[in-house]
Amino acid sequence: MNCEYGEKLILYFYGEAGEALRAETESHLAACGVCRASLAALKQAGDRLSVPQAGPSRAAQAAVMVAARAQAAKRRGFGFSWRPALLSGALSAVMGVVFAVSARNSAADLAWNSGIDAKLDSVEYSVYQAESDLAQASGDWEYGYSVLEDERSMVEV
Amino acid sequence: MEEEQADAALVAAYKAGDAEALGVLMERHKAPVYGYLLRLTGRPDAADDLFQEVFLKLVKNPGAYNEREKLRAWLFTVARNAAMDYFRRETARSETPLEGDADKPGPADFIASSEPGPEQALYNKTLGERIDAAMGCLSADQREVFYLRQYSELSFREIADMLGLPIGTVLARMSRAAALLREKLEKETQ
Repeated sequence: MNCEYGEKLILYFYGEAGEALRAETESHLAACGVCRASLAALKQAGDRLSVPQAGPSRAAQAAVMVAARAQAAKRRGFGFSWRPALLSGALSAVMGVVFAVSARNSAADLAWNSGIDAKLDSVEYSVYQAESDLAQASGDWEYGYSVLEDERSMVEV
Repeated sequence: MEEEQADAALVAAYKAGDAEALGVLMERHKAPVYGYLLRLTGRPDAADDLFQEVFLKLVKNPGAYNEREKLRAWLFTVARNAAMDYFRRETARSETPLEGDADKPGPADFIASSEPGPEQALYNKTLGERIDAAMGCLSADQREVFYLRQYSELSFREIADMLGLPIGTVLARMSRAAALLREKLEKETQ
């Protein structure tokens, strides 16, 4: 383009000129045959490039889609393995909070009302009873042993 | 803007496990991406492979695409890089002659062409072939900007960002491309 409008003309041709530049260029074009010829050449070449082509082969498009479906399935699979894990984690957390709150406020009440305390008393009494029986048996055995010892010493004398 | 939001929503759906969302995305962008790759390589089989490579990148690693940017810009960046790798591989293997042949243009056909080769081709051809030959006279840099603008429909600002160039450089390349196309096509009709 042998005139100063070269780059302005390009912006005008491709619709990237602002309103003022567009008006200025149109005014210039009315008087400049070289720029009009350049526009015509650009249009011819542009039209030539715009001729519809056959497009990519079906095989190429199918290969892309096979890969896309495989990748998408992989992504979905990845998602499913995480979802239940997150759900169980959330449930565990909720249950933990419920137990913590209930235990903090009424642990003693819970134990009393459940009858555990009475059962513990019973166990404790049984142990005491067993200890007492054992002590009695032990005392009896010691007494019997001492009697035998006395009898032996009398026999030896 | 609506198109960008729809693209972002489809990518999000795909990331969430909806494979068919990827199919919709491919359907929306396949024509410009494939057209660009076919124009760059000149070979339907290579364009097919590269097209697959571009979308497989999105399939395998959708996180590589930042949903705040335009999907179209991302796809064309990946397509351009894939095409450059393709030409590097082809050149390294030396299976493809640099100049290519009648059916299969080689890497040199996409680098700046020197006259009189492409100019000679302007004669005795259909209009479409004459335009192709005129485009063959553009430098690789000019052609890159021209093809990207035509197929991606991204703005020059976005193309400049994609190429890592100042917008003035991108516009200057495009301006010179337009001048060259005019010269070649005018010369032919004289």
